[in-house]
Amino acid sequence: MEDKRRVEDLISELVHRLCTNSSSSSSSSSSSISNSNSNPNPSNVRYATRILSSRMTPSISTDEAAMAYSIKSQLVKQGKLSDALSFADLYSKFASKTGPGSVKNKWAVLYLLKVISDDRNINRKPHSDSTFSGGLPALFEPQTNGSLARVLNDSCSLNDDGAVVIDNKVNGHSGSAKLQNGGVLLISKDPENLRDQAYRDFAALVREENNVSEEVLVRDVLYCCQGIDGKYVLFDESVDGYMLPDTIRVSKPIRIMIRKLCELGWLYKKVKEYISETVERFHDENVGTVAQAFCAALQDELSEYYKLLAVLQSQSMNPIPLVSENASSGNYLSLRRLSVWFAEPMVKMRLMAVLVDSCKDLKGGAMAGAIHMHAQHGDPLLHDFMKRLLRRVCSPLFEMVRSWVLEGELEDIFSEFFVLGQSVKAESLWREGYRLHSAMLPSFISQSLARRILRTGKSINFLRVCCEDRSWADAATQAAAATGTTTRRGGLGYGETDALESLVTEAAKRIDKHLMDVVYNRYRFKEHCLAIKRYLLLGQGDFVQYLMDIVGPELSEPANTISAFKLAGLLESAIRSSNAQYDDPDILDRLRVKMMPHNKGDRGWDVFSLDYDARVPLNTVFTESVMAKYLKIFNFLWKLRRVEHALIGAWKKMKPNLITSHFFTKLPKAVKFRLILTSRRCQVLWNEMNHFLTNLQYYIMFEVLEVSWANFSDEMEAAKDLDDLLAAHDKYLHSIVEKSLLGERSQDLYKSLFILFDLILRFRSHADRLYEGIYEFQARTMEDKTELPKHSKKKSEDSESWLSGGRKAITQRADEFLRNMGQDIDAVSKEYSSLFKGFISQLPVQQHIDLKFLMFRLDFSEFYGSAF
Amino acid sequence: MPREIITLQVGQCGNQIGMEFWKQLCLEHGISKDGILEDFATQGGDRKDVFFYQADDQHYIPRALLMDLEPRVINGIQTGEYRNLYNHENIFTSKEGGGAGNNWASGYHQGKSFEEDLMDMIDREADGSDSLEGFVLCHSIAGGTGSGMGSYLLETLNDRYSKKLVQTYSVFPNQNEISDVVVQPYNSLLTLKRLTLNADCVVVLDNTALNRIAVERLHIQNPSVSQTNSLVSTVMSASTTTLRYPGYMNNDLVGLLASLIPTPRCHFLMTGYTPLTVERQANMIRKTTVLDVMRRLLQTKNIMVSSHARTKEASQAKYISILNIIQGEVDPTQVHDSLQRIRERKLVNFIEWGPASIQVALSRKSPYVQTAHRVSGLMLASYTGIRHLFSKCLSQYSLLRKRQAFLDKYRDFPLFSDNDLSEFDEARDIIESLVDEYKACESPDYIKWGMEDPDHILTGEGNATGTVDPKLAM
Repeated sequence: MEDKRRVEDLISELVHRLCTNSSSSSSSSSSSISNSNSNPNPSNVRYATRILSSRMTPSISTDEAAMAYSIKSQLVKQGKLSDALSFADLYSKFASKTGPGSVKNKWAVLYLLKVISDDRNINRKPHSDSTFSGGLPALFEPQTNGSLARVLNDSCSLNDDGAVVIDNKVNGHSGSAKLQNGGVLLISKDPENLRDQAYRDFAALVREENNVSEEVLVRDVLYCCQGIDGKYVLFDESVDGYMLPDTIRVSKPIRIMIRKLCELGWLYKKVKEYISETVERFHDENVGTVAQAFCAALQDELSEYYKLLAVLQSQSMNPIPLVSENASSGNYLSLRRLSVWFAEPMVKMRLMAVLVDSCKDLKGGAMAGAIHMHAQHGDPLLHDFMKRLLRRVCSPLFEMVRSWVLEGELEDIFSEFFVLGQSVKAESLWREGYRLHSAMLPSFISQSLARRILRTGKSINFLRVCCEDRSWADAATQAAAATGTTTRRGGLGYGETDALESLVTEAAKRIDKHLMDVVYNRYRFKEHCLAIKRYLLLGQGDFVQYLMDIVGPELSEPANTISAFKLAGLLESAIRSSNAQYDDPDILDRLRVKMMPHNKGDRGWDVFSLDYDARVPLNTVFTESVMAKYLKIFNFLWKLRRVEHALIGAWKKMKPNLITSHFFTKLPKAVKFRLILTSRRCQVLWNEMNHFLTNLQYYIMFEVLEVSWANFSDEMEAAKDLDDLLAAHDKYLHSIVEKSLLGERSQDLYKSLFILFDLILRFRSHADRLYEGIYEFQARTMEDKTELPKHSKKKSEDSESWLSGGRKAITQRADEFLRNMGQDIDAVSKEYSSLFKGFISQLPVQQHIDLKFLMFRLDFSEFYGSAF
Repeated sequence: MPREIITLQVGQCGNQIGMEFWKQLCLEHGISKDGILEDFATQGGDRKDVFFYQADDQHYIPRALLMDLEPRVINGIQTGEYRNLYNHENIFTSKEGGGAGNNWASGYHQGKSFEEDLMDMIDREADGSDSLEGFVLCHSIAGGTGSGMGSYLLETLNDRYSKKLVQTYSVFPNQNEISDVVVQPYNSLLTLKRLTLNADCVVVLDNTALNRIAVERLHIQNPSVSQTNSLVSTVMSASTTTLRYPGYMNNDLVGLLASLIPTPRCHFLMTGYTPLTVERQANMIRKTTVLDVMRRLLQTKNIMVSSHARTKEASQAKYISILNIIQGEVDPTQVHDSLQRIRERKLVNFIEWGPASIQVALSRKSPYVQTAHRVSGLMLASYTGIRHLFSKCLSQYSLLRKRQAFLDKYRDFPLFSDNDLSEFDEARDIIESLVDEYKACESPDYIKWGMEDPDHILTGEGNATGTVDPKLAM
């Protein structure tokens, strides 16, 4: 009571002082002030008391400038323009006053002034004295009271308009004070104050329960969210999270809330750790540009977060009012408010943490892909966030794609790109130089697109390295122009997959076309293919024939005695003397002799082959393994040709005009029959063999070489890129290999074929021997014939007997010789027919190739029809 | 080493067809009448050096020897538009210029007396080539020079160049018209003997068939000699295309002939050609496909050997071998289809004692000769039916010989002096045995032929008795 009394006294004194001070100090004071008494008006005192005891909190936000503006506009509305102007002037002075002793709660002062002014206006109009009615607005914290007085003092002394307000207020308050029912008493009986009392009790209870005030906790939480330990809230390694130690007594809800709020801190710490770790390793090759971009993007996101924290931090300085119903308003931070503020950053941070987690050991395309996996989110907020992030993360990747597709540059020092380059020799650049690194292929780029991307850049590199071509740049520029993008950096980004695809498609189309042009026109691919067909596949018949003629004797020598140098010379002369001499010197220059590694006992025939030096860039097509296949085919065809050559040689030995029938007439019957029989056997067998060989050759020519070539030519025309061309060529080669029975699955056939060939070669030597014998024999009997008349004239009887004896001996020997030869030939014939039957019976059961044509040719007249 | 082929043109007919042949080759290779290569003919991919060689001034000279006993035809050539083409050293005409009077014996005898001159020319030409493949003789078998001197040359070549091939293009006389050469059967028989014994391959050009083709196929009422000769030159040039345009196969004469002639005796080839046109006659353009061409080649009406066989015999005739040379733009797969069709329809009868098939050679067409046909084809075939042509010769000979007609003319010459007509008999025997051999080829037992029936094997010993060792007969 004593206290209250004193407060009342103080207030009345204040009111009194304020009013008198103002009237005495201001000479130019308004009329209303001069009207007032020197004694404090009891209504004024009462009013002041009421104001001072009010605990209501304003429901509006604490915006100082807005408050000033609202006062100003109110004045303008009332038509007091000059007042409004002078208010503005005063306000600016007021607002600029800072430092010790100045008013801290400027907004509150303004608000007070406004409320009082409003209050007066209300009182004045309907019932001037009803001071109890009407919701009194804001209550102010007790500690500001002292300064309020000063402010009021200041403002009154400066502001004539403000003086009016105060004067009015003082009047009202003094009125209530006169009634003697003092402010505090009145207030305590007020039902509002009852509630207030309850709140106060609650606050006391809360304080009792918690060792630490909420403000401190809020500040701690904010610290934690920056990854710093707070005063009380500390990072606990054991639980891996921020914790309020148990020693500190707080209520359970608060503890839980702190735990929850501090999750953000934990997440932040994780993200931050990742970033700093990565940034530290920037010079390490493991990081890569995508990761750098990712870090940068994360850091940007974090700086947004920092901004938020800064604001929150500043708010956290505001004390939390005692729990009251007005607690929802006001510029302070409670844990509850914090949880609202944290809702959004929490989601983002969580996402970032997840990303950081999933990207930890990844880099490049794989990282972009992993991030992309998280972008498929229905929440528009997250979706946008991810999109923003991915745009930044993928930008190095897209830049790589762009420079790869348009410039063929592999700017990928950290091997992040899904195209992997390795340094290889120029010839294998296309096949092995680059490949897709599927781990680095982000899922938003499809496999087929990736392959196209790979090929386009590869084409450029191929052009650059192997073809030494520079004009592809035009094609690239055209491609870029056609798609509306430019060749400069950064034209593409994440989410523009269509643009990327069309760029790649255009670039691929043009670059491939250019590459094809270069390959066809500058490097004359087709001509070289034809040359290989002519020389290695023996298409140039006259050349092959001369080569066979001149190289043949040499090749019969043991392989280790043959000089490749000499063979090269023979090759040269074969070229010179055949139509090959008219061929392009460049092509002929590439044709050379190749000696294969030989084993002991090999003849020249086994090791000789022709080779074609394709050179860069065509050796991309004609690689070593391809050439090995060509050589295999060559060896087969060469052998076939050799056997044919041998057979024709045999025919030449037994050709029609060499045996004259004069010779036959002089022979005894038995020998004559044997001669005729043997030679006819030989001829018939020759015919069979020749039939087989020619038809095999026809088959090879029509069904294998020409047909494959025709298909290849068509595919060559249709080929859009080098891969197509390679595929077409491989198919061509493969079809030749398979159909010529050189494939894996035809090995049995091939073996029996070679046994047949060897038999034919053996037959040739038998036939040669037979006919040489016959000619020798013929020559002897011819001698007899010419000598006979001479002898018969001179010494007829002797010579007759001698001659007949001689003839007999000759005939006998001839008979024996013919018998032996006949047996030999029969043996060969038997062996041949069994081998041939074996071969031909294998033909229809071949599953993988169609040998119908060969079969049908070999048995065109159905001679072998009964054989199977 | 271009595997050169030297052409010998003997007698009136030989020189005429030879001239046509060279004309055709010049056209196909883009060689002008003076032997200069035309400007457009540099990129043909053809092989000229088989039939030509180049003189020092780069002009092309045919490897041809022109021989005749009378100067008329050769003079014609020497004054004609191709006069600068030939090497004048390679032209031989008899100084007397009297010709052979359609007498084989005269031609043979004169050949012998001019042997030195003739062989000088041949040797010189042969020495001028790197790897001589052989000789081609163009002649007719009915006249005097071509048959007589040709026969002599065949024997000499056989002697001196036994390792070289000798191919002849032999024109057989028209049997349907009465010839002004009454001794034609004699001449034919005597020449046939040399063709059988001394030639490796005889391409039979039957004037009877050529005339028939000209009349029936080309609708020319009275075909002139030059018209039939152009048919001959077409055949000759077509049969050499694979030698002149190298490809995978059949690039040399020996390879070409070897598979056509499996049994040495049966080396008479008949030819067919389609589609046929004579000079500047392009009114019969039809669609030509490979199948069309190959099928038409098997039709008798396109074959340049007349068939004298009766139907029954004809049906037994068999092909020993067939080579179709197809010129033009051909898709190789069409060949397969055509062969299949021919086989299905059983259009060809092949021998039964060995495997046989239609061989196909695809050859380029000369880019310098414009033809109306996309595809043309030449067939070379060894056919047993050809024996009827020889039988006809034999029967005509027998008729004449029975009457002992016109033998005096022959007795004037050394080979037949002292009334020694054994040459005739020997020739007849050889032709008979040839006919028998062809006949034997029609049977599946050709391999054993001659064993069961030894009397007919060979000449001169028909009456000899001989037993065959049963082991030999197998």
